[in-house]
Amino acid sequence: MTDLLTVEDLRITYPTRQGPSEVVRGVSFALGRERLGIVGESGSGKSQTGRALLGLTPAPGIATARRLEFDGIDLRQASPATWRALRGIRISMVMQDPKYSLNPVMTIGRQIVEAYRTQKGGAKTAARDRAMAMLEAVQIRDPSRVFNAYPHELSGGMGQRAMLAMMLITEPDLLIADEPTSALDVTVQLEVLAILDRLVADRGMGLIFISHDLRLVSTFCDRVLVMYAGRIVEEVKASDLANARHPYTQGLYTCLPRIEGSQRPLQTLQRDASWAL
Amino acid sequence: MNLIEISNLDVTFGSFANTVAAVRDVSFNVAAGEAFGIVGESGSGKSTVLRAICGLAPVTGGTIRIDGQPLKTPRDAGFYRRVQMVFQDPYASLHPRHTVDRVLAEPLAIHGFANAETRIEQALADVGLGHGFRFRYPHQLSGGQRQRVAIARALILEPKILLLDEPTSALDASIQAEVLNLLDRLRSERGLTYILVSHDLAVVAHMCERLLVMQHGRTVEELTRAELQGRRAQQPYTRALLVASQGYVGQTPTLEKA
Repeated sequence: MTDLLTVEDLRITYPTRQGPSEVVRGVSFALGRERLGIVGESGSGKSQTGRALLGLTPAPGIATARRLEFDGIDLRQASPATWRALRGIRISMVMQDPKYSLNPVMTIGRQIVEAYRTQKGGAKTAARDRAMAMLEAVQIRDPSRVFNAYPHELSGGMGQRAMLAMMLITEPDLLIADEPTSALDVTVQLEVLAILDRLVADRGMGLIFISHDLRLVSTFCDRVLVMYAGRIVEEVKASDLANARHPYTQGLYTCLPRIEGSQRPLQTLQRDASWAL
Repeated sequence: MNLIEISNLDVTFGSFANTVAAVRDVSFNVAAGEAFGIVGESGSGKSTVLRAICGLAPVTGGTIRIDGQPLKTPRDAGFYRRVQMVFQDPYASLHPRHTVDRVLAEPLAIHGFANAETRIEQALADVGLGHGFRFRYPHQLSGGQRQRVAIARALILEPKILLLDEPTSALDASIQAEVLNLLDRLRSERGLTYILVSHDLAVVAHMCERLLVMQHGRTVEELTRAELQGRRAQQPYTRALLVASQGYVGQTPTLEKA
């Protein structure tokens, strides 16, 4: 199987008054048409990694890599035109909170139609039909209401589905989902995951699923990268997560409360300075 | 003796033709010293119940009694001495341009407490933040530290009842464990009564003795912790929530949409 995406030695640096601060420090991985999870706490560099793959490292941050290739295209020196041809079309990204990633002054329908027509062109009516079909595909019960609604009129789950519809209408090869379900209810979360799962299975899409929720990732993804302080501390097969070797991964796993009853007080994560080295 | 009695609570937003019944006919009782959980999806009205108790949502029917006394609208200062709320998002609930010191001093000034100095120091120590945090701004704190400040702000008035609206859902799992431990410890030390709203059944099972499951503004069922742990739920919605809490299992539990 050829790799869809290859990342070697990705580093992201932000200048600070105390000199440059490296937030991602030598991340390497390869992704096929599979579900890859990236897990870590806030500040571990997982979202920065996701954004760097789309060339969206916010200024003044600088992303460098020894190799950064998507389907044979070198992304390190990509021109703005190359990026335009990739972003939202071949690589899409779903951000955490639909409240901030949707345009508040445009209706959902207009935003989806815009995403579609930018790439495929065509008549408005055709785009509209396609958008409606896509809203249905992400399990929105009343697509015409959502189509004409503004983002503030929708619940978080609805907004995130609309976001997914917008990202998937262009049929990308790679979807980077940055905490796509953290703002959602558990039941809705599973519905959104089921939609993603079907897309990966049916269309052979690659998926990078960034999350802080170890339990969710372990049940959903094929492989999991665990990040701590800008590094990958462990790569495990999702099914083996309970037998993870690194104390950080173990700590993240045992500090979750369990319905069946958990110890009191809950185990907390004892950080070891050597992990960050 | 029930400390909090809520009977047939209705909350309706909007007016004329354009109304939304956010909470419909919800009743429950919470005994003193108990931790009571409310679980449900977003839009189920679980947070609205808390806001209605606090006087932040329009109660259109039913009664809320604390210590047997129906609450006055608007709530008086005495009410807020006894009942305090911790909000979901510590990034939004702290004033960005007030230092921790000022956040903590304000409720003391409003309620005319003496020796603010020692109370602020004590409140910070209680939530596990040292003296060094006192003159910081919220942006200089991590999410977990902010939520500790929000808890300190609520506890500085020495309330008997704490309303917790998803206190850990904005936090990392490792920080969540610390905040839950903190809340657990404070409850046993001070005999507090909690109403904890969460979408995470595991958090509620850990923290609360009893819980109420809500959907579409209505009560689905009331369970004890033992019933939850034994997965002895009667209603299909609760069973779906239980399945969902195990993570992704390949298929979506079918939910009845009303």
